[in-house]
Amino acid sequence: MNRRDFFRVVTASGATAAVTGCQRTAENILPLVVPNEQLVPGVAAWFATVCRECPAGCGVIAKNREGRVVKLEGNPDHPVSQGALCARGQAALQGLYHPDRFAGPLLRDGATLTPASWDAAQKVVADKIAALRSAGKGQAIALVTQLETSSLGALLDKWTQVLGTRPRVTFEPFGYEATRAANRATFGRDAIPHYAFEDAQVVLSFGADFLETWLSNVSYARAFARMHAFRDGRAGTFIHIEPRQSLTASNADAWVRNAPGTEGLLALAILRVMVDAGLADRRFAEVVTGINVKKAAADSDVPVETIRHVAEVFAHGKPGLAVGGGMAVTGTNATPTLVAINLLNLAAGNVGKTVRFGPDSGFGKVTPYAEVARLIQAMVRGEIEVLLLGSGVNPAYTLPGGLRFTDALKKVGLVVSFANQPDETTALAHVVLPDTHWLESWGDYAPREGVVGLMQPTTAPVRDSRPIGDTVLAMGRAVLGSEEGKGPLPWATLEQYLKVAWAPVVKDEWAAALRLGGVWKETAPVAVNARVAPVDAAPPTLEGDADGLTLLAYPSFRFYDGRGASRAWLQETPDTMTQAVWDPWVEIAVETAAKLGIAQGDVVRLTSPYGSIELPAYVSPTLHPRAVAVPIGHRYAPYHTPRYVTAPAGSRNPVALLGAAAESASGGPAYLGVRVRLAKTGARRPLAILQATHDQQGRELAQHVDLGAAREQALRGKPEHEEYFSMYPDQKYPGYRWGMAIDVDACVGCQACVVACQAENNVPIVGRAQAAYGRQLQWIRIERWAEGNPGHPTNLFLPMLCQHCEVAPCEPVCPVFAAYRTEEGLNGQVYNRCVGTRYCGNNCPYHVRRFNWFQYEFPAPLDVQLNPDVTVRQLGVMEKCTMCIQRIIAGKDHARDAKRAVRDGDILTACQQTCPTRAITFGNLKDAQSAMVRFAHSSRAYHVLEEIGTRPSVTYLKKVVREHA
Amino acid sequence: MGAKAGVGALGLVLLAILVFLAVSSWSRQPAGAKPSIQPIRFPHSVHVQTYKIDCQYCHSDARRSEYAGLPSVQRCMGCHRIAGAALPEVKKVADYYARGEPIPWVRVNKLPEFTYFPHKAHIRASVTCQTCHGPVETMMTFGAETGPRLTNDLLTLVGLRPAPPPLTMGWCLDCHRRQNATAGAHAPLDCVTCHH
Repeated sequence: MNRRDFFRVVTASGATAAVTGCQRTAENILPLVVPNEQLVPGVAAWFATVCRECPAGCGVIAKNREGRVVKLEGNPDHPVSQGALCARGQAALQGLYHPDRFAGPLLRDGATLTPASWDAAQKVVADKIAALRSAGKGQAIALVTQLETSSLGALLDKWTQVLGTRPRVTFEPFGYEATRAANRATFGRDAIPHYAFEDAQVVLSFGADFLETWLSNVSYARAFARMHAFRDGRAGTFIHIEPRQSLTASNADAWVRNAPGTEGLLALAILRVMVDAGLADRRFAEVVTGINVKKAAADSDVPVETIRHVAEVFAHGKPGLAVGGGMAVTGTNATPTLVAINLLNLAAGNVGKTVRFGPDSGFGKVTPYAEVARLIQAMVRGEIEVLLLGSGVNPAYTLPGGLRFTDALKKVGLVVSFANQPDETTALAHVVLPDTHWLESWGDYAPREGVVGLMQPTTAPVRDSRPIGDTVLAMGRAVLGSEEGKGPLPWATLEQYLKVAWAPVVKDEWAAALRLGGVWKETAPVAVNARVAPVDAAPPTLEGDADGLTLLAYPSFRFYDGRGASRAWLQETPDTMTQAVWDPWVEIAVETAAKLGIAQGDVVRLTSPYGSIELPAYVSPTLHPRAVAVPIGHRYAPYHTPRYVTAPAGSRNPVALLGAAAESASGGPAYLGVRVRLAKTGARRPLAILQATHDQQGRELAQHVDLGAAREQALRGKPEHEEYFSMYPDQKYPGYRWGMAIDVDACVGCQACVVACQAENNVPIVGRAQAAYGRQLQWIRIERWAEGNPGHPTNLFLPMLCQHCEVAPCEPVCPVFAAYRTEEGLNGQVYNRCVGTRYCGNNCPYHVRRFNWFQYEFPAPLDVQLNPDVTVRQLGVMEKCTMCIQRIIAGKDHARDAKRAVRDGDILTACQQTCPTRAITFGNLKDAQSAMVRFAHSSRAYHVLEEIGTRPSVTYLKKVVREHA
Repeated sequence: MGAKAGVGALGLVLLAILVFLAVSSWSRQPAGAKPSIQPIRFPHSVHVQTYKIDCQYCHSDARRSEYAGLPSVQRCMGCHRIAGAALPEVKKVADYYARGEPIPWVRVNKLPEFTYFPHKAHIRASVTCQTCHGPVETMMTFGAETGPRLTNDLLTLVGLRPAPPPLTMGWCLDCHRRQNATAGAHAPLDCVTCHH
């Protein structure tokens, strides 16, 4: 090639490159044909509705961008959630955009379910119902739904009456039957009262996991923080009695470990001490005459001094509050145990003060488990020919193994499921008529008397699904041969029924009620007459080997009864106590593990008279040695495997080990009912545990201060401590300076912030294997640090996120200036500059930087949930907490529209917004009016790893430890 | 020999400049800026200059949203039900409206997806649309030759016609700095303002 040819080639190729370029194909912009005045592209519209991830019924507001819901937040106006939302509520979006959601109705064809039209699928059901009705066998039709306290429940009840079927069964695995039975016995009231935690000085909990799943965890966590968090020298006391150190137990000032099933015994012993010490009315003396405190102490493995101390603290709390619940209080002695707890409340004078009948919980409308069991027995006898199962109901997974539900279901001619995603029950159904997700539905829900939340569609249905109300109305009319607008079922849709039902309540204020999220009024407490009578709270009878270990099957705070488990966000959110993600485990006491030679990660077989399950072991130094504990609710959705995790064969559901018998007094299920035998299988399945150690090794990451010292410091101010010397000039902040304060005393470790951050900031899922490598991507994590005796530690929960250091170790090591300090005090990370050297991550002393080791996917349609204001990071990019920079920009924009500076409340980070205990505060450190400044100068304020001189923008407030508790 | 070598060197330098320009304009090319044929030949010049319609009458989201937005088909028909109803291009609009279909406009201005540009903040700061989008009011077709294309760069080099602004980061920052220095504005210069 000569020189001329070379130039010709170079010029030609250069020109070609310039002309053709490397362009993407043209992109279209499609304007609306007819504009929707409510929706401005690029501006979020918010819709109020009610969270239905569990029966607590928290109010939520859904953020709709361009027609799609991208984020959920607590409704600040709703009296239950008061603006907060738990981890399960935050993850509801992953149910809405679930990749496995049914695309439409399905009909069984042999072993598989095949797509069908709505008309065809509904006709199958309607024809069968019509045939049974004309044969006079209406009682062979049964409808089972989750708890529906308002219009939908009323409509379904009307439907069952009109068609002459069996009465509707409201099935909730955790139905609190024993609480109702105990209240019937003591107060003559079949109800679950409202517990005013916020007004109590002392809370004494017998196994009630009110920070996790018990009744209404968000509302009680909010109230608990008000009662317990250190404010102006005041702080309440919380004592928790449970054989296992649960998340709730580890938030107690004193956790008392008792032998399983001895809660009632302890309650009576405490009452006895109160009576003996003259701290309770004499009329309670006759109740406790038979109680020997020494014997109770021996039976319950709780020292006599502890019982005396608890009694004293409880009796001196004016008012106090004793609550009982949780799975340890569901044995054959559940009702007497809860009666004993009622007596404690009576003796301390709490009834009417902190125990308020009147604003009763909606849980009171649950059908007792014993009736559900009777329905299953009828199925076995072949008396049920059509079984309709509403969405949220998964009896094949949640009913005790002893009931043999799967076998019973085979005797039913037509099983109809309204579930909108596959589960253990739809696998056995003959017809699937997918219900809309609650974010797509009309409805209403009353979590307690006086509070009715309204539900409205916040987005168009993601899949071809129809509301259960509409489907049953259409089928009902087909059976009756009536037309729309006529007959006993005239309503075309549930929406129409709802509006008719609400018309007299809201009159012309329908739109206002929808905007607010419902209608609520104060319900005054009603007086109750108590019956004081002796009660026998003997330990429960357990089935299984006498030398076996008592099985504690408890609901996971991430998955509830398994409903939440199909959300990958929750699977990858660690269980705070074990810090394990994805796989379930069996918690085995150190003593037992040593005896049986079991190491952490060994697969162990648990055998009860009703079945066996295999789970990897988690060796716990805190569990009572006569117990083993297994969380309920760990199951995988089809799209999780093998994408994120490999699922071993066989059941891992502890409910399968339980017997069918109900507690006789209440008809509730006995989650504490069997002893199990453990055996090593020889296999290993190490758990993916995100935190290697719970020992701070003297680093004082999570700090605490005694209550007395905290009081003194609050009064006199913090002792001056030497500022670290710097040779560099101070950084100047011309405008705002953002900072965050995290109250370690208020944090209960509920993980709501972790999921909220994941939803807000497009954080992908990495899967079990990668998480085990430490490659998880969450921008915030809750560290658990245990102090003191390993068998009985004090736990501190430390939310750890980017500290936005003023002297940030990550910045000078970045070769491309991707990490830099902004003028507003943030530590910025520019993704488009980052080349992925990971020097910054290596140099970060807080270990909060996250690296994209792979190109992570968002399986369709989960990608629709992505926040349009946040970049989706790609392979090879470092990322971390931005303090929700997109919210900061939006807040500044909002303030500028109002021609003023940003003030408190304009900007709420996602973690702060959702926090049930208000542990997180974000604000402008230069605004003297800001709450943030008050916290930064608090006597409890400290910085994590202050001694290395990073000058973080995140201030922590020390936990206050009650030495007297 | 000396003269020949000088011409050769000059040729080499010119070639190098040409190649550099070609490569640099190609590399700075915003995705999607390829001249494309719009489904309807929409003349901005007629609407703005002849009928004096304000930009924000049609791009009405610019003052309240991150996006300027395109007019709904209904808004087009608000005028075109009567005005110019007989014109063949207007008939196309009417057809889309009758079918209830959106008009598939071809995107002209596109920033990379890791860049957040809020129209609202710029309208509030009284930045004119032309500052970034060029003299759209004079254009019969918008969407042809925007951005750092070779032809634009060469034409700008010889001063023949002003290219529409390139919408590149350096150009954005130049303006922000100028505004802060001369007009006493508080145009942000933090990376994370646009990249987050």
